[in-house]
Amino acid sequence: MGLADTTAAQAPAEDAVVAGESLQEKGFVVTSVDAVMNWARTGSLWPMTFGLACCAIEMMQAGASRYDLDRFGIIFRPSPRQSDCMIVAGTLTNKMAPALRKVYDQMAEPRWVVSMGSCANGGGYYHYSYAVVRGCDRIVPVDVYVPGCPPTAEALIYGLMQLQNKIRRTSTIAR
Amino acid sequence: MIDRHETLAARIEERFDEQATRVASSCGELTIEVGKDDLLAVAMALRNEPEFGFEMLMDVCGIDYLHYGATEWTTSSATETGFSRGVEEKPVILDEADEFDARRFAIVYHLLSLRHNTRLRMRVFTGTGNPPVIRSVVDIWNSANWFEREAFDLYGVLFEGHPDLRRILTDYGFIGHPFRKDFPLIGNVEVSYDADKGRVAYQPVSIEPRTLVPRVIRDDNRYDEQLRNTGNE
Repeated sequence: MGLADTTAAQAPAEDAVVAGESLQEKGFVVTSVDAVMNWARTGSLWPMTFGLACCAIEMMQAGASRYDLDRFGIIFRPSPRQSDCMIVAGTLTNKMAPALRKVYDQMAEPRWVVSMGSCANGGGYYHYSYAVVRGCDRIVPVDVYVPGCPPTAEALIYGLMQLQNKIRRTSTIAR
Repeated sequence: MIDRHETLAARIEERFDEQATRVASSCGELTIEVGKDDLLAVAMALRNEPEFGFEMLMDVCGIDYLHYGATEWTTSSATETGFSRGVEEKPVILDEADEFDARRFAIVYHLLSLRHNTRLRMRVFTGTGNPPVIRSVVDIWNSANWFEREAFDLYGVLFEGHPDLRRILTDYGFIGHPFRKDFPLIGNVEVSYDADKGRVAYQPVSIEPRTLVPRVIRDDNRYDEQLRNTGNE
């Protein structure tokens, strides 16, 4: 018993070895529900396709074959109903804000938001404009901010890995 | 190229006489100024009469001449306060003027004649009325529909006879007309999510206008009166 418990998040590789030995010797593995759920959530983080401006080009780069977000189980979905995560990629204008909030509200829990680029983080270049929201966190709660104008595909992937780390730290079942 | 424009200019002068005055232009471009009341008659003639044949309306746009020709910022010393266009100490309440300068707002029509391969720019001032009103040319050129909506949205010029005059670019609760020169750059309202109402709501703008601190160029010859005068002769 206790082969792999909640410490799985801290040292996954070590636990995997232990779990592998257990699997060979005894034919079963014991773990916590939390660890399994977080493993499933981090391994299939489906983002809503929500490109607003030039950041979306970098997001496409991250999704295309060179950086290949599919490796992380990150597959872009065309519907908020199927999405776990929203990448706000670009300038959020006042006119778009209600639509963004509506899409966010349509996503099923648990859901996360990645704010990508200067404009989504705080208005960026358009901070003093009359038509731009000064940060998408005025509209939706944001989990990870990715800086850059636009951020590189690597930066976005790093941000998504930070989001995975954040998800791993959460415990769904309170004890 | 120039000849063709001169021919056209002569034809316009002959046909419209007082209704259209030619504006000094360069680069082989022809611009005429038309009175507000003559707009529909002149536009109809330019489209229908075979010697003009301007069957395409390429663009309609507004102009605000509020600060036109005013020197932007002249100094030869550094500044502590900086300067910026669109910075007002308190929000400007739009349309507070009883009437506008007669040469403040203009609408410009860009016409193309495929038959004669010529282009023509037509400028119409909207007069002193507040809000500015001008006749719509949607019935003459259907492409004017969205262009006029755009000019209405950005400059607040009303187009009489337009079938569907509403904002086209700015958001649905927007106040003011952003391309007017007295419009504050930061705007009057901003949006954020209101958790109590459960929707995105408007509120007065919360940030201070930005003041630019420009790069100072000492002995800038652009503003030297003598050099300017000799250059123009």
